Amino acid sequence: MNLLQRLRNPVLVNEWKLRMRTRRSPWIITFYLLVLGGVTLTFIYLMTGGGGHYNPNRSRELFMVLSILQLAMICFVVPGLTAGVISGERERQTLSILLTTNISATKLIVGKWLASLSFMTFLVFATIPLYAIVFLYGGISPAQLLKVFGFYLITMLGLGSVGVLISTLIKRTGIATVLSYAVVFGYAAGTSILAEVIREFIRYQRRVYYSTGAPMPLWPDLLHSINPLFGMLGIFNEGPVQDLRRVISNRFSLVSVDPFWLYVLFLAFVTVVCLALAVYLIKPVRPRLRKAAGEE
Amino acid sequence: MIQINRLVKRYGKTEALKGLTLEIEKGTVFGFVGPNGAGKSTTMAILATLLEPTSGQAYVGGYEVTKQPREVRRLIGYMPDFFGVYDNLTAEEYLDFYGANYDIPAQERRQIIPQLLELVNLSHKRDAYVDSLSRGMKQRLGLARCLVHNPEVLILDEPASGLDPRARIELREILKELRDMGKTIIISSHILPELAEMCDVIGIIEEGSLVAFGRVDEIYAKMQEKRVLRIRLLDRVEEAMTRLREVPTVSGVTREGNWVVAGFTGNDEQQVELLRELAVAGLPVAAFNEAQGNLEEIFLEITKGVGS
Ligand SMILES: Nc1ncnc2c1ncn2[C@@H]1O[C@H](COP(=O)(O)OP(=O)(O)O)[C@@H](O)[C@H]1O
Ligand SMILES: [Mg+2]
Repeated sequence: MNLLQRLRNPVLVNEWKLRMRTRRSPWIITFYLLVLGGVTLTFIYLMTGGGGHYNPNRSRELFMVLSILQLAMICFVVPGLTAGVISGERERQTLSILLTTNISATKLIVGKWLASLSFMTFLVFATIPLYAIVFLYGGISPAQLLKVFGFYLITMLGLGSVGVLISTLIKRTGIATVLSYAVVFGYAAGTSILAEVIREFIRYQRRVYYSTGAPMPLWPDLLHSINPLFGMLGIFNEGPVQDLRRVISNRFSLVSVDPFWLYVLFLAFVTVVCLALAVYLIKPVRPRLRKAAGEE
Repeated sequence: MIQINRLVKRYGKTEALKGLTLEIEKGTVFGFVGPNGAGKSTTMAILATLLEPTSGQAYVGGYEVTKQPREVRRLIGYMPDFFGVYDNLTAEEYLDFYGANYDIPAQERRQIIPQLLELVNLSHKRDAYVDSLSRGMKQRLGLARCLVHNPEVLILDEPASGLDPRARIELREILKELRDMGKTIIISSHILPELAEMCDVIGIIEEGSLVAFGRVDEIYAKMQEKRVLRIRLLDRVEEAMTRLREVPTVSGVTREGNWVVAGFTGNDEQQVELLRELAVAGLPVAAFNEAQGNLEEIFLEITKGVGS
């Protein structure tokens, strides 16, 4: 009972209530499923040539295309969904009232974060039947299917927490939105660009010092593994991340690390750090800091 | 109930509060008066745990606002000078949301909310969307919101500003009811007469410091209190000055030709008495005028905004 009461989050409940009121939601779901379904069914039609025989390899490709399309959609939409949650409240002049109530900063941040992502999560999980259809054509393992959706979830939560943090930091929603997009795209492109730059740099150095025999360090590939696109490709045993699995198991013969979990771990870390910072920053008066300053 | 001790707040270079000291007793309706930019909102935001003072302390119910903000929040209901509402929520849901934020059980909220709507005369608007309400109604709903957790202290920042006279009267009636309920209320305004009749105690703030504090009647007396007396004598000017310097309510006696100019802090009766003493002493008083003093100027400054 006590635990239930603790978990009850009025901000989350209120946001859901407001969300239900808008007439748009069912239309967005329908539209989204129609588009994605149309793409899938067209592919399947072309793939099978309208006839019975099919190729599991093509089905796997279709599954990958679908997964990456949806991932791109997440990266495009999440910053926009989350960058206004706190700054919007500030602009609407409702934040100060909320901060004088008894709700804790943690509940406020977590409530806003989950509320802003809940519709999106629903939308993504509503596409499971489509994946299931493609899945039935073969070429994909059940574990891969599960991982794809786990990947979506942690990506939404992680990128969403970045948006919430920026929304807490920046007073104006417009600026917060632009910055959130910049950070998310910077992360999506930056990690892999950085990985390749480092790899090239090491190669260059080795050529200069004639030490080409030494094995390549791990971290260019580690960087690739926290990149959304390559992380996703890794689930399908494609792309640079794949080498990582092999290299790790070769070098540390005991541990076999699935790059998927590296990605999950990294984004979980980002989520915790961003949310904790947002909770700290939203407090108008920070007792501990003040005490420390007073004791000097 | 509320103690403010040498409170200083700086925004960069501007010093909004310059060592404000103030004490408000339990059950008092305190009117916080001062021109725009005097520091009223700043003080109230600090009391509402929304702003960190640069130095000094503020206590609500014995809790220091920066050290025990959670305890303070439970005690206060704060209404900012400007606040927004959520569209797509009805008046009832609006109150319910804030009630939930105070961890009030749903069952209890269902009981309290109709009572609150009744108190602020909004029962008929229970199912109306908040953004469809008039400004006066929103203000009253905001007041009801301040009351959901039955706080002992209400901090209301210019609740009457922007309201038409009718809405003001309605607001005043509600505040009277709240006063009768024994709440400690701090209410700010840049217009003194607006507050005078519903407050027990008034504090006048200007440029971040308190320039007057006291019961309403005392303040009004003080307004008239400090005046400048100008006395014209036909002769024996020095003797008159010596006599005036001996009177405790007279200060700063100077001479301008045949005129004696002095500050006076007594009341009307004391002024009559002073004139009589001069006459009894046989001093040739030809004229006895009073000029307006300092506090009067402050008052005028404050009341400038009445029409707007
Ligand atoms: N956020 C802020 N940043 C900078 N200066 C501010 C800020 N808020 C208030 N001030 C300044 O502090 C002074 C007091 O403001 P305020 O407390 O709002 O006065 P009042 O409510 O009495 O009109 C003013 O000079 C105002 O310009
Ligand atoms: Mg103000």
